[in-house]
Amino acid sequence: MNSIITYFKGLFIGIKSLLFGMSVTWKELWTKKVTQQYPENRKTLVISDRFRCELTMPHDINNEHACTACGICQMNCPNGTINVLSAMIETEDGKKKKILDTYTWDMGMCTFCNLCVITCPSDAISFNNQFENAVFTRSKLVQTLNHKGSKLREKKKEVKPQSVPVVEDKLTSSKEQMIEPLVETKISTPSDKSIKNPKDNTTEN
Amino acid sequence: MLQPLELTNLLSWLDTTLRDSMPVFWVLLIEFVLVAVALLAAYAILAIILIYAERKITAFFQARFGPNRVGIYGILQSIADVIKILLKEIIRINNVDRFLFFAAPFFMIVASMLTFGAIPFGKMLHAIDFNIGVLYVTAVSSLGIIGVLLAGWSSNNKYSMIGAMRSGAQFVSYELSAGFALMTIVVLTGTMSFSEMIAKQEFCWNIFNGHISSIIAFVIYLISGHAETNRGPFDLPEAESELTAGYHTEYSGLQFGFFYLAEYLNMFIIASIATTVFLGGWMPIQIPGLDGFNQVMWYIPSYAWFFGKTGVLIFLSLWVRWSFPRLRIDQLLNLEWKYLLPINLVNILIMVILVLAGLTLTDLFPVLAP
Amino acid sequence: MAEQIIFYILAALIAVFSVLAVTSKQIIRSATYLLFVLLGTAGLYLLLGYHYLFAVQIAVYAGGVMVLFIFAILLTNRPGENVKAERKDRRIAAGITSVAGLAFCGHIIYWNVNKAYTLLVPAEQKVQDIGLKLMGTEKYQYLLPFEFISVLLLACIVGAIMIARKR
Repeated sequence: MNSIITYFKGLFIGIKSLLFGMSVTWKELWTKKVTQQYPENRKTLVISDRFRCELTMPHDINNEHACTACGICQMNCPNGTINVLSAMIETEDGKKKKILDTYTWDMGMCTFCNLCVITCPSDAISFNNQFENAVFTRSKLVQTLNHKGSKLREKKKEVKPQSVPVVEDKLTSSKEQMIEPLVETKISTPSDKSIKNPKDNTTEN
Repeated sequence: MLQPLELTNLLSWLDTTLRDSMPVFWVLLIEFVLVAVALLAAYAILAIILIYAERKITAFFQARFGPNRVGIYGILQSIADVIKILLKEIIRINNVDRFLFFAAPFFMIVASMLTFGAIPFGKMLHAIDFNIGVLYVTAVSSLGIIGVLLAGWSSNNKYSMIGAMRSGAQFVSYELSAGFALMTIVVLTGTMSFSEMIAKQEFCWNIFNGHISSIIAFVIYLISGHAETNRGPFDLPEAESELTAGYHTEYSGLQFGFFYLAEYLNMFIIASIATTVFLGGWMPIQIPGLDGFNQVMWYIPSYAWFFGKTGVLIFLSLWVRWSFPRLRIDQLLNLEWKYLLPINLVNILIMVILVLAGLTLTDLFPVLAP
Repeated sequence: MAEQIIFYILAALIAVFSVLAVTSKQIIRSATYLLFVLLGTAGLYLLLGYHYLFAVQIAVYAGGVMVLFIFAILLTNRPGENVKAERKDRRIAAGITSVAGLAFCGHIIYWNVNKAYTLLVPAEQKVQDIGLKLMGTEKYQYLLPFEFISVLLLACIVGAIMIARKR
């Protein structure tokens, strides 16, 4: 007798749960479709800020960048994607100085791990949101990041941003060097940058 | 009743003009050929439409858009697929039993074709009206499983073999329930012929006529029919994660296309038999006494009614397919032998009692009788 | 005319596939040829207008028995292997037996064909009539044999359970 009760109980519970499952899929049928219709929606497409697409070296209006050709990014790159070629020049006051000659980056080998950006002491490189990177030949994937005729931005020692001392104690030793070359253009957004970077440092290093 | 969009006038005009102009033998020959061409064309076109509909509905169940690049809303997608499959190479495989390997897809397609021919699509759109239509359909559709078994064996591949064995066990079990569910309705209507069944459902569909018993039979038929087509939660014979593609792993090109075509058409055939037996076939919805309403319903041609009802059932089958996870083989056989079959046997008894005691709707309300 | 052509085609198919079914070296092919023979027989019934018998032939033999045959063959050890030829004396004995069977059946058919023409009605058998004949208790009705067959089936089921239990 008991087994008969369990038989029918199981039957009706089964039917009930099946109907519940069908009601769930019925609701799903009418939900908004999540597919991104890519080429059509280029204008409205939203790419997350944190999405890493293409390594760039931001240049300011005077065609100046912040790269000191220290080569830390090259050393930190796990795939050997970055190649920093430096040149020695002599400044007016007779000092020898290393400057950036060409900064090449091979997108075909990059894993977009972001280590180069994190470790860069002068914040000279960053990933942008330009995700349409398809090209026809592999050689086109190798890009030179510094513009033609660009040069290193002069440092201005007297300008010390307000937020820097606050940040300083949080920073790791490698990051401390970065404060000095900071310049006016960077000062406009020091707070979010300097907060984001130490975070990345502590988690990923 | 005025029926402006029916094909009856066209067909009888064609018949009389042919008969006026040539001897009977040639008339019959031409008509046979015409019927065969019409059926083959309908078979192919329905498969194309079904593949498109399934992909689209599936996508909607998964919050996607589905095919939408080839043609507007992707309507040409399945035509493109058909062209692709026609152009693909049929790969010759070493160490297979070649005769059986090539014969197997034909079993599948012939079985579903034979069943397809006996379905009443509309008024006068009925290629052959056996007086044992229901029995014929169940008998002939059971031939397809031989194709599956032979395909599995002759492929010389363990995945195919396991898939074929599973398919065989599944099909033989579920055919039993499907047959019993149809027999329940045969008890109710007292006839096995599709045309008589439809005529009896003019005002009261069988699913309402036998109320409780009919509804149980309807549900059981849908479940077991769904299992017979090897789709949805019952797709163990081709479980991708375990058996790559089951019994048609080794097939390519048009041979695979045959299996694919037969699968989709079997879905349609199951839905259309359920329509004819339970939901009144091509008969429009009619209410006794309301002549104006009935006339309006007749303006919609009978084949539209048939395809509409069938479409609803196909949608139901897709809904089930994308709702439930795949069963294990023991669960599958449990469902059949411990639940569907006993319920079915009791259900037939209930139906017999209903008919003998005069408790069907047409007995209780004689106005519903045709 | 057309019926005769179809009959000869069907008869030729049945004859050819019967021979092939016996002579084929591979057991699964034999089963397939046997299936074609059964389908051809179903075709003959269709030609005669016995739709019920046609459907039953396909459902029971082609759809039921043959599927079980193929299943059983697939479950045996090596279904793909060629069957060895029998010993010569056995072959002769089998030949004599089949000739004797042919003579016996031929005799019966030959002497009863005339009767069949007078007894058989060309009209189609209704399913209801067949059902009543099978389940009736009067003269020319077959309830008793029907029940005997069901007892036979029951015995088979019991036997199958016994064999399966022994493990």
